[in-house]
Amino acid sequence: MIERTPILNISTHVILAVGLLLILFPIWIAFVAATHDLTAVNTAPVELWPGDQLWANLTAAWELSDFGPKFINTLIVAVGVVIGKVTLACITAFSLVFFNYRGRMLVFWIIFITLMLPLEVRIVPTYAVAANALSPFQVILDVTGISWLVATLSGIQISLEWNLLNSYTGLILPLVATATGTFLYRQFFLTIPDELVEAAQMDGAGPLRFLWDTLIPLSKTNIAALATIMFVYAWNQYLWPLLVITDRANYGMVVVQLSDLVPDALTTGGGTPTWHYAMAGTLAVMLPPIIIVIFMQRWFVRGLINTDK
Amino acid sequence: MRRAYFKFSWVAAALLAPQLLIIFVFFYWPSAQALYWAFTLEQPWGGGNTWVGFDNFAKTLSDPYYWSSVQVSIVYALATTALAMVMAMTLAVFVDRQLAGYKAYRVALIWPYAIAAPAVGLAFRFVFNPNAGILSYLNVVMPGLWDPTQIAWQSVFTIVIAGAWKHVAYSFIFFLAALQSIPRSLIEAAAIDGARPLRRMFDLQLPLLTPTIFFLLVINITDSFTDSFGIVDTLTGGGPFRATDLMVYKIYSDGFRGFDYSGAAAQSIVLMLLVMALTFVQFRYVEKRVHYT
Amino acid sequence: MTRKWLLGAALAATSTALMSAPVSAAPVKFEYWYGLTGDLGAVVLETCNRFNASQTDYEAVCVGQDGYEKAVQNTIAAFRAGKHPTIVQSFDAGTADLMLSGEFYPVKKLMEDAGVAVEWSNYFPGIANYYAASNGDFFSMPFNSSTPVYYFNKDHFAKAGLTEAPLTWEGMEEAFKALKASGQACAMAYAPSTWIDLEQFSMAHNIPVASNNNGYDGLDTQVLFNTTQHVKHMEDQQRWIQEGYSQIRTAQSGKSARDSFVEGECSIFFSSIADHNTVHKIAPAGLNWDVQMIPVYEGFERHNTVVGGASLWVLSGKTEDEYKAAAAYLAFLATPESEEFFVSNTGYIPVTKTGYQALLDKGFYAKQPYVNRDIALKSLTFTEPGPLTRGIRLGSFIQIRAEWTAEVEAALAGQKTMKEALDTAASRSNDLLARFARTYPGKSFP
Repeated sequence: MIERTPILNISTHVILAVGLLLILFPIWIAFVAATHDLTAVNTAPVELWPGDQLWANLTAAWELSDFGPKFINTLIVAVGVVIGKVTLACITAFSLVFFNYRGRMLVFWIIFITLMLPLEVRIVPTYAVAANALSPFQVILDVTGISWLVATLSGIQISLEWNLLNSYTGLILPLVATATGTFLYRQFFLTIPDELVEAAQMDGAGPLRFLWDTLIPLSKTNIAALATIMFVYAWNQYLWPLLVITDRANYGMVVVQLSDLVPDALTTGGGTPTWHYAMAGTLAVMLPPIIIVIFMQRWFVRGLINTDK
Repeated sequence: MRRAYFKFSWVAAALLAPQLLIIFVFFYWPSAQALYWAFTLEQPWGGGNTWVGFDNFAKTLSDPYYWSSVQVSIVYALATTALAMVMAMTLAVFVDRQLAGYKAYRVALIWPYAIAAPAVGLAFRFVFNPNAGILSYLNVVMPGLWDPTQIAWQSVFTIVIAGAWKHVAYSFIFFLAALQSIPRSLIEAAAIDGARPLRRMFDLQLPLLTPTIFFLLVINITDSFTDSFGIVDTLTGGGPFRATDLMVYKIYSDGFRGFDYSGAAAQSIVLMLLVMALTFVQFRYVEKRVHYT
Repeated sequence: MTRKWLLGAALAATSTALMSAPVSAAPVKFEYWYGLTGDLGAVVLETCNRFNASQTDYEAVCVGQDGYEKAVQNTIAAFRAGKHPTIVQSFDAGTADLMLSGEFYPVKKLMEDAGVAVEWSNYFPGIANYYAASNGDFFSMPFNSSTPVYYFNKDHFAKAGLTEAPLTWEGMEEAFKALKASGQACAMAYAPSTWIDLEQFSMAHNIPVASNNNGYDGLDTQVLFNTTQHVKHMEDQQRWIQEGYSQIRTAQSGKSARDSFVEGECSIFFSSIADHNTVHKIAPAGLNWDVQMIPVYEGFERHNTVVGGASLWVLSGKTEDEYKAAAAYLAFLATPESEEFFVSNTGYIPVTKTGYQALLDKGFYAKQPYVNRDIALKSLTFTEPGPLTRGIRLGSFIQIRAEWTAEVEAALAGQKTMKEALDTAASRSNDLLARFARTYPGKSFP
């Protein structure tokens, strides 16, 4: 704050408080649902005030779902995705913005289009690729006749196989490829003044040195924002892990396990609607992303970053 | 625009290679196969297909229900994006003022993004429930006023609110990050020049925010077309009577649930073309007004 | 150079020797993907654990797939990549494509080939026929079976002067009137459901849902539900809502039919017998309730209803050992102990006659919370299944159900008449069926 503006301050507080209430209300409802028992949580009207079953529900949900190992697995996957995504997006955007070659925009669009086809649509053939990640290359070799050539000349049959099912790689790699990060970095890099680039060039720095010494320090807030978003995104993954991991004990992820607690409307009647366990599980599952967010807050703080250019 | 580049070398290509390789293997290769199905009648368990050319497209595009689906998808996308971005920007600007307690606000406002889908659906059901939710008080005033199971636009309203809710948190993070990277010296200089806070907001912060606004606009609109499946599934199931049958939900129902791979593939291509057209329009006409430097 | 070569050869020889050394036989594993979730899923998992504990030759690796649809969809994805399970739990509407693809191992043949004796006639016909070929050979193994009933509040009925739960729809309307007169604001909690309102309704009345004997006889099928008594039934349902006897209660509208019943707001609701267990668990003390078979209109002879739930399919493309293991597991499930375990922990009903008899002899159905749950079996076995009451075998069935639901919702919201709605649903369903037939040219159901 630079000057005294009491009226603006009060309205700021009011706006933020109202916004907070609106935003947090559904979370409050979920929390309250986690504190009641089976009968209470299935009775309308919805409970607005907490009950006393929180601990019981949390322990029940934890044991039912065997969350312990799943938390660790999901943590590994999320960290992997963050590191992979941040790195890939950065170097790709760097190439697209700081070099001038024909087809730059085309490459950018090629990357960007990956946002437009949801996973649900392409999940069946994507699974086939995960079952053998080298199959595209195998097919290319076969179709172009190279594998036939190699087989005839040397008697070696080329049979590429890399099974990504039930592995961390299979979980991390497909998630790392999306275009959001690249787009974000492109936007940021476009704001870098030409003077900085020219200064680096005059100092005799090559592109990689420029990237490492100048750009990355400048990108700290963007890295922090992207890392936070990506961590939560990977943490909350559901459809892909459900399909690719059948060895749930060793590689299961938390939200897949959580949805097992949520009553399924399709089974012709039968399942007990354990909403209290489902919401308790949700609270537990929600905790690590919240912690990461709180931890990453520091990087949004003004002043830590030297942005005076 | 930009004048300063590095000389093109193998470095540029090498930097591109990893991402391109991954999206080739995990996106383009499978998608080509999935989209090929749009031109055939595919048997789910394998075993063959029948080539039908553009038949699937003809069937999809001549279905009146499909066009209502397109319409509601566009309405949903625009409404959600507008609502989310306006709210997020307002909140970010006010949090950026760093008044007392702003750190708590910062954390709290990002929270919704961390919630997994089942909880969101359940919680919002309790909000919108015409018999026992918060909005049921409207029915006390006038019975039947609020009933998303009978009144179509109210059902659309519920998914717009739920969709915007999640996007507010996402947009908030980026707006705040962008605001925080505006050098303090610039703001102080403006203050010394006599600009009041609101004026500073409009003349200084807003223009510097335009790259982020553009980024979030594109991402939010794209996401609300391709990522909105979960919201519809937990809140309305596409109903009542198809009122909230978003394009992506229809694709999921027909393909994933109904095992109509070919129909779903044809619809996906139409969806992709629509989103591409919208994105192209944004890049062409909106990006012009973005201040990069 | 020579030393390295010798060392390398020695290492190679040792490792080969180690690898071919006799190892104690590890159990043969097979994978089973099931769709039930929550506590039901836990029971399924427990059947696997019990199987594994009961012998050492085979090991069942059971993976929950969070819902029937996802179980089938994920299996298809895995199948196309050659990584599918041996057994998949598939629900009724999801099986037409599988049947036509032929990519399954009929369980009758599986058990014969594996040398496991199964008394196929022991299965209740109303259950068996849904999952069998036209000659009676079982394709899949019945597992969790249910059928619809209606639940009614005995106290409300007593207050309205009703001494018995009606078995005709005309009687039902009389009951509605009596309930309303006695002060009940909501006599019936209604949630439109294809399974109950269309499919089971048609079974009980022995009227067709579609031509070709409900699709069994060929792929050039057309739906017929907009021409049968079903139309009158749906018009009645709409009329009862308008006249204030019943109310639409769905989860989306805030309170599901079951919850409305359990909380004493409504006196009647229709659901699967599988809900019998759930209602016991969530009902507050003092709720005095019971179940009854679904009603039929006067002038129609009551016939058997058919099963819902799911059955276990064995897929093609696995090894001989895996098939032996799968056969052992299926045989284990069919033992009386296993059946008793399953029906006592869920709301499902036994699938074999001997299983049912054993439970009766033990007085199982005389004790709470199982009292009168076997009325479902009475409904399933009311008559021998005929050509129209064997079951339904339609392609794109899930989408057909969705079309019916959307149109009925529109009619109930006043956007069109019920007849128009059903006509639209029928015509769109026929388009789907025609497309399905084109997808499988020259094929027919086995």
